[in-house]
Amino acid sequence: MKLSIVRVIWNLELKILSRNKVLVALFAIMLVMLLSALWIGNSMYRKQEQTIGKIQVHEAEMLDSLKTRIRRIEANHMVHPGFIWDDPTFAYNTARNEGPKFAVKQPFVLQALNVGQSDIQPFYYKVYINKKQYLTYEGEIDNSLLQFIGNFDFAFVVIYLFPLLIIVFTYNVLSSEKEQGTWVLLKTSNQSIARLIQLRVSIRYVLFTGLFWLLVIPIMVALLGSSFLATSNWWWTFALVSLYFGFWFVLSFLVNSFSLTSTVNAMVLIFLWLFTGILIPNVLQIGLSQAYPIPSRISQTNEERKAVNKYFEKDGQLLTKEVFSSPRTLIRQASIVTPGMVYGYGVIVYKSQEIKDAAAEVAERKLYGQIEKQQAAIQAFQLLSPALMMQEELSALSGTHWFQFNAFSRDVDQFRKRTQQFYYPKMTYESTYRTFSVKDAEAIPTFTPQSYHDYSWSKIPQAFISYLAIMGLLGWIGHRKLLNAQR
Amino acid sequence: MIQLVIQKELREIFRTAKVLWLLIGVLILMGLALYNGYSYYASHSALLRESQKVTYQQFISQGDKNPHLGAHFGFYAYKPTAELAMIDNGIEDYTGNSFYLEPHKRGVVRFREVTDATGIRSFGFFNVGYFSQFILPLFIFLIAHNIFSKEWENGTIKMILSSKATTRQIFMGKLLACLILVFALLVLLGIASLGLLSLGPDSIHLPRILGAYGLYWLGLTVFSLLITVIGVSVSLLTRNSSLSLVSLSGFWLLGVFLIPRLSSEVSKRMYPSITSLEFENTTFHDKEYGVDGEGTKDERRATLEKETLKKYGVTRLEDLPVFYIPITIEHFEESDGKVMDRAYEAVEMNEKKQNAVLLTSSVLSPFLAFRDFSMRMTATDMHTHNDFAEKAELHRRKVGVIVDDFYQKNTVAGNDFWKTVPQFAYTAPGISWRLASAAPAIAILFGWTLVSVLLMFFSYRKMTV
Repeated sequence: MKLSIVRVIWNLELKILSRNKVLVALFAIMLVMLLSALWIGNSMYRKQEQTIGKIQVHEAEMLDSLKTRIRRIEANHMVHPGFIWDDPTFAYNTARNEGPKFAVKQPFVLQALNVGQSDIQPFYYKVYINKKQYLTYEGEIDNSLLQFIGNFDFAFVVIYLFPLLIIVFTYNVLSSEKEQGTWVLLKTSNQSIARLIQLRVSIRYVLFTGLFWLLVIPIMVALLGSSFLATSNWWWTFALVSLYFGFWFVLSFLVNSFSLTSTVNAMVLIFLWLFTGILIPNVLQIGLSQAYPIPSRISQTNEERKAVNKYFEKDGQLLTKEVFSSPRTLIRQASIVTPGMVYGYGVIVYKSQEIKDAAAEVAERKLYGQIEKQQAAIQAFQLLSPALMMQEELSALSGTHWFQFNAFSRDVDQFRKRTQQFYYPKMTYESTYRTFSVKDAEAIPTFTPQSYHDYSWSKIPQAFISYLAIMGLLGWIGHRKLLNAQR
Repeated sequence: MIQLVIQKELREIFRTAKVLWLLIGVLILMGLALYNGYSYYASHSALLRESQKVTYQQFISQGDKNPHLGAHFGFYAYKPTAELAMIDNGIEDYTGNSFYLEPHKRGVVRFREVTDATGIRSFGFFNVGYFSQFILPLFIFLIAHNIFSKEWENGTIKMILSSKATTRQIFMGKLLACLILVFALLVLLGIASLGLLSLGPDSIHLPRILGAYGLYWLGLTVFSLLITVIGVSVSLLTRNSSLSLVSLSGFWLLGVFLIPRLSSEVSKRMYPSITSLEFENTTFHDKEYGVDGEGTKDERRATLEKETLKKYGVTRLEDLPVFYIPITIEHFEESDGKVMDRAYEAVEMNEKKQNAVLLTSSVLSPFLAFRDFSMRMTATDMHTHNDFAEKAELHRRKVGVIVDDFYQKNTVAGNDFWKTVPQFAYTAPGISWRLASAAPAIAILFGWTLVSVLLMFFSYRKMTV
């Protein structure tokens, strides 16, 4: 096809689209939606950053307070003027009060595009020796109803709303020619109708996607700075979103090629949107929950409690004799809290925690194992639903996927073990019971921040190529159908 | 005459291949929704019922322990799966259903299933509620979008208008034809779900929930009616199938996805939630330093000691006829409880304000109003959840008092004592409570019904050539 023809059709398309007030208004509304979504995503990302800033300040204050209090006691001949359970020279008290440190998952900048699981998974934990974080923390105090409704972020606008806008833009590219009576004219032209329609859809794709990025990129730079442009996560996001738009243009081209009426085209496309975007993920969900049921944490708690009861029935008898009934700990009296009692409770907590942790580990492996199996199946089946593929990949690229939160949770677990190893020997030091010094306060383990936006596990290039191939096939079928229609 | 119009329309609908395919698809989806809802309900209900027994059994058989240590072992109060969760499980998976009953700490409902779900969960949970709120309206729009416009497009409108049938008969005939199809689906769905409810593990509770079940179906019928009326009226007003389809789909999209999500964001910005960190710091501060000038914890502790010694007429704690530690535990359970009550009340109040914004926005979306109504009727809403949390917290305090009273005279508690601690049982409030809670949503749905009737009259007057 000659360049001059391309130029003519380009101008024609611009004229048709700009004169269609409904389309222009719809596009404008969508852009406002997109801007709102970017602003909302950005403010959620900023709020998390602010919370992390507050955590850092809080931690520094806690450490200062701890050291000051220990110094005051040491200067006062080891006399603590207040309540014994608040005395920081007992390692068990510090482990419960000022000692616990925070583990934080720093949000990745592209989280502003996709909230993913960041609103339901904790992005920080206060790590206690005696509280298993997966059984204790539930994330931020958020309204469950609003979480259930879902977020209005960039990913939602791109995955759900833009395909519908693309449908409105393209559903009658061919049928309108028939309905307006210009089809006969087109048939008499010396250009291939298949090529002409292809060109028209391609021009609309370029215009649509070009305008989209021209608007999105400067706004993102204004909101988030330009650092994200240097990440491969961003360029994959760019490529995938462009591909996703392309998929819907190609699909619309294919539906158009069947030479049906505009209404039927619209109905078929809306049905395909509903089918691939809502029904397939839901049916997949039903299948996966049957194939790999995720055990409830309730059963895990039952297991944990069973293990503790069993311990106290047998081996725990020794502990009961040594600590619980020991005259040193004085747990049997209940009027005055003695240093021995603080020590005794520390030992009981330490021992029972070891049992709980061992029981929980088995259950936890089962839980994560089942979720991982579901995740693997989703990766395999995501070709069935472009919406699902986009959601999975955008989450991976923005560091808000379950996989990344799980990696964080596992790191926290390791950190908790390190913290336990730090406190346990100090808690069980019997001779004076009070061993915790300023030096110890400075040596309390801290969480080493990691980055969790690596996406190498998510097979993005494979998904990209597969969709490209699917699009090629759909486009080819559409082209063949149009060649036949020409005859 | 209306009957003839209805017959003609139904014949036409059933002779259209695309509508038949659509019907088959909808029937399959109905089956899936019923199956998924039932298996969710059966598995969750059994797990929670069993776990409530197991956790209590573990508590009462924990053996000889210091009463306070034993109380820390505690047990769980589980929110039983709502009997109508098979139809709509609402926000159950987002709130959690386990409330830990242990001393010192006001319980928090834990184990939200959504945190252990893959990203696919954000696509929704497919059950009867999902089907009625998302799929059914779209199906109605797909059926109704061309019920009038096709007459203009096929050029048959003049023929119809010049027939013996009056415009009122034509309008009612077409509307009723659509409604017959829609109501037939509803009847099928209603009977099937009632059948599953009566087969389910809690079928003995069926008479108790029949009222709520009936009201749910009444609400769904009104909702379907108003959606059908809107679909038919738009078809008449646009006189163009494509435009009608695009308008109705746009309305659906706005009502189902856009308005709820946008108003949810607006409510979050109008009434931002407190972060966990701030919540913990604030409550810690209030507990340590006191509120309303009651003094620091150390000062309050000293006052309590003085008062207790005075009460028993002794000068040393060791001489008290009862143990002193449980007295302090009980005392601070009460004063810390007040701090926590105030903090949680503030959280709940903020959530109520957020929810009110969301509900207000349903004046723009009948879908959202119906969703709210549906959750309240099936007792899977926030209000019922808060009622459960409140009752579980009362039970936690009751257990605390029982244990501390015992601990004042004994340092060892055996199974005989643990058995005196009562088990927890929760039943969701009855029909009048649910109706009162759903009143705003019902009012909005009636408002929408009125709007649809007005739209119907407006469009009916436009039935001219």
